[in-house]
Amino acid sequence: MRVYQFRHQRARAIVATPSARASRALRYAAVRELCEHAVATALGAGASYADARVVVRRAQVVGTRNQRVERLDDTETEGIGVRVLVGGAWGFACDRRLAREGAEAAAQKACAFAKAAPGGHSRALAPVAAAQGEFRTPVERDPFAVPVSEKVDLCLRAERALAHEDVNVTSASVRAQREHKVFVSSEGASIEQEFVECGGGIDALAARGGVTQIRSYPSAHGGSSSQAGWEFVEALGLEREAPRVGEQAAALLRADPCPSGVTTVVIDAEQMELQVHESVGHPTELDRVYGTEAAYAGTSFLKPDDLGSLRYGSEHMNITADSTTPGGLGTFGFDDEGVPAGREPVVREGILSGFLTSRETAARIGSGGGGSMRADSWSRMPLVRMTNLHLEPGEGSLDDLIAGVDEGVFLQTNKSWSIDDKRLNFQFGTQIAWEIKGGELGRMLRDATYTGQTPVFWGSLDAVAGPDEWRLHGLTNCGKGQPGQHAHVSHGTSPARFRNVQVGFAQ
Amino acid sequence: MTEALELAQRVLRAAEGDEALAVVQSERSGMARFASSEVHQPTLIENQVVEVQIVRDGRLGIATSNRTDDDGLRALAARAGEAADSAPPDLDFPGLAPPVDPPAVEGFDEETASLDAEDQARLASAAIDASELDLYGFFTSGVTEVALASSTGVAVSQEMTDAAVLALAAVEGASGYEERTGWRVGDVDPAEASRQAVEKAKLTRGAVELEPGSYAAVLEPPAFAELLAYFAYDAFSGLGVVEERSYAFDKLGSKVFDDKFSLADDALDPRGLAKAFDFEGTPKQRVELVEDGVLRGVVWDRPTAKRADGGQQTTGHAPPSSLRHWGPLAFALSVAPGDASSTEELAERVGDGIYVTRLHYLSIVDPREGIITGMTRDGTFRIRGGKIADPLMNLRFTARVPELLAELQGLTRDPVLINQNAYYDDRYPTGLLTPAVATARFDITGVGSGPGV
Repeated sequence: MRVYQFRHQRARAIVATPSARASRALRYAAVRELCEHAVATALGAGASYADARVVVRRAQVVGTRNQRVERLDDTETEGIGVRVLVGGAWGFACDRRLAREGAEAAAQKACAFAKAAPGGHSRALAPVAAAQGEFRTPVERDPFAVPVSEKVDLCLRAERALAHEDVNVTSASVRAQREHKVFVSSEGASIEQEFVECGGGIDALAARGGVTQIRSYPSAHGGSSSQAGWEFVEALGLEREAPRVGEQAAALLRADPCPSGVTTVVIDAEQMELQVHESVGHPTELDRVYGTEAAYAGTSFLKPDDLGSLRYGSEHMNITADSTTPGGLGTFGFDDEGVPAGREPVVREGILSGFLTSRETAARIGSGGGGSMRADSWSRMPLVRMTNLHLEPGEGSLDDLIAGVDEGVFLQTNKSWSIDDKRLNFQFGTQIAWEIKGGELGRMLRDATYTGQTPVFWGSLDAVAGPDEWRLHGLTNCGKGQPGQHAHVSHGTSPARFRNVQVGFAQ
Repeated sequence: MTEALELAQRVLRAAEGDEALAVVQSERSGMARFASSEVHQPTLIENQVVEVQIVRDGRLGIATSNRTDDDGLRALAARAGEAADSAPPDLDFPGLAPPVDPPAVEGFDEETASLDAEDQARLASAAIDASELDLYGFFTSGVTEVALASSTGVAVSQEMTDAAVLALAAVEGASGYEERTGWRVGDVDPAEASRQAVEKAKLTRGAVELEPGSYAAVLEPPAFAELLAYFAYDAFSGLGVVEERSYAFDKLGSKVFDDKFSLADDALDPRGLAKAFDFEGTPKQRVELVEDGVLRGVVWDRPTAKRADGGQQTTGHAPPSSLRHWGPLAFALSVAPGDASSTEELAERVGDGIYVTRLHYLSIVDPREGIITGMTRDGTFRIRGGKIADPLMNLRFTARVPELLAELQGLTRDPVLINQNAYYDDRYPTGLLTPAVATARFDITGVGSGPGV
């Protein structure tokens, strides 16, 4: 459920700090006026379009490692970013001063940069209704009202439950973030939003005889996050799951290496999150398709003309971009161009059905209206980013998927990941695997990797587990852009089964 | 005293604790990012971030903000104090660093510091205008300052400049890559980088596949730098050794690499992006990591050194606190040069193999074994008869870096500074000095997309 409730307070300060414990309260009306002033300044300096975005964020990370507090960080940042079109060229500048002089400086510098930018420049924007709206993350327990000592205790307890004689590194972390955002455009948009995120995870690293193995929960690489209050962290059950995680890390030291070969794989929901992210999410970002990430993150094997015709995968493959998903890290009322949230198909029954777009790329392809533009802070320009990109569930259970395999491998929890610059050739490693024989799980295997070519791999998809197995995973480390930006993205996935997949390396 | 150091002292005065450390990072930068020969993401950034670390009864709390008025600093100190009060005592806390005069280093250039948006756009334009193919990449320059003040008497600051151009000349079916980085903009020639990227791109048309297998290879500096940086995260980190996930864990003092391979971390080298001190205030020093193929050392910060057996001392490699979970980091790797006059000479030594310009999307498969996977891109070629020959599709490699380093046919004479900054979060210029290298073993495990956009 989305809740729209903002307090509009008049005060001298734009942001006030009531105490060290509570987050700073944003004076939305004053900030809106600041954004309006920036936009007016930009228009006065020659911009044909301008938007201003104020972001005030507080983030807290508590991390423990081997029963020591490793991180106890509390970070605040605030500022205004102004994006302009002058003569068809983009300009962007920012200022940390939430005051009229900061807004003016950012607007004027953005216009100056746009005027100086080389190129032919004829950028157009798809039309969007000028939105006047608000959005606020539903929160049951404010994470910044949770004492830091409670967070430390949770991490230390979870770590103790990871303990095993072969585990030499235990670690646990929890995070919380609150972000206030105000957006105003020269087309009349005026939007206020407040986002709250929480997350956590645990890891056990075992080492013996020159072998090192790791197990994580609920996800690798920092755990999982959701747009929610502290109730999300409490529901993770870090302490409850820790003994299994520690035992599996230790057991992996004695497991056989996963044999190489072409076989059937069943992939768990967490690894499917990254599979969707890397081989569907990034290639369908339309800015990549048009080459604007070519120098860094890469482009895409997809072409604009592929829309509606390219066979991306089998008929079991249904992918949806949904910025309305409750709890999703890519959920919002409006994106960073003021486009309202929505739900759109990206792949339907294996056919490419949509791209992730900005207003600029939507205008260029002549389809859609944007809705995927996000910036990671006030000091960065918005880019086309995944919002929440889901693999729609099929039917049955994970056990059903495994029962349908005579010989194969069950792969669980990401360990390594890499994909080429057009998002075709990928290779993933998982923390743990199990042999499947006669429809049942057999021995544990370590060091499993699998590789493929994106459309061939998705073409080999022959089953996706049903809604009961579908889980929402939130990751916070999606990199893109120069200067670099981290996006927070969610993926809903069920376990899935693929035939004829190269596991390990071709002999 | 610089403005940033004055601010650090103000932060320190606002802090209440047994010990306290204030860190200020300032940035003024511009990036003219271009695609299809047009600037499409021009970004100007001005920011100043203050961090305070407060220690109370052996408990450490950290808070960060970019509000530098008195109210902001008071709130910052209060948040750090609350964090410290909430932490359990750390019996291994090494205390804050003592004051030591940092070495004098190069790394600041007035001309680079004075570049504004128009200059950055002009230098991007110089790259674009020199390319007869569509050009993708950026020109960027920035001036950054790091200042530290502590209750133990540390009071240091360093102002740095950096400039970089990245040039990817690309059309459908062809692409070539070149980059230049330095702390003096005068050392960064956008047009020359662009021209070299174009020449490379022209050679990549008609790329063909390659059978997976183990090949001898020439790695240009950008490719070798990327591979080495990923390997170093665990292999040359004191924390990696303490936690037994480093390749170096049980091999320090052993000859494990080719005797032509020597590696140091040297933040004092004026050819690199020099640093005078780390984020604990410890002076930088040159650390020998590999000498003539023998693993000699890893890098340390104060907490990791205290945790280690054997009386380790910090080597001045504490990262920013936001990266402290990585442990100490070697931000200034420097590979000793060899005797080859050019990459063409390395290709002659290889005879039959592959030639790699640049790598893409690396991932650590096994840190203990030093196994890293990734792709080649923007200039991969077959070497036949000692000559750079037909272009290849982008190749997936899954390489055991120690095996790659175990047999080297040579390295070029002149190291190149390769940018290591992707400009996430707060700007902190880092680079890696390396020549090109020829190896007897580079394991190709698959074929991906072709060159070009």
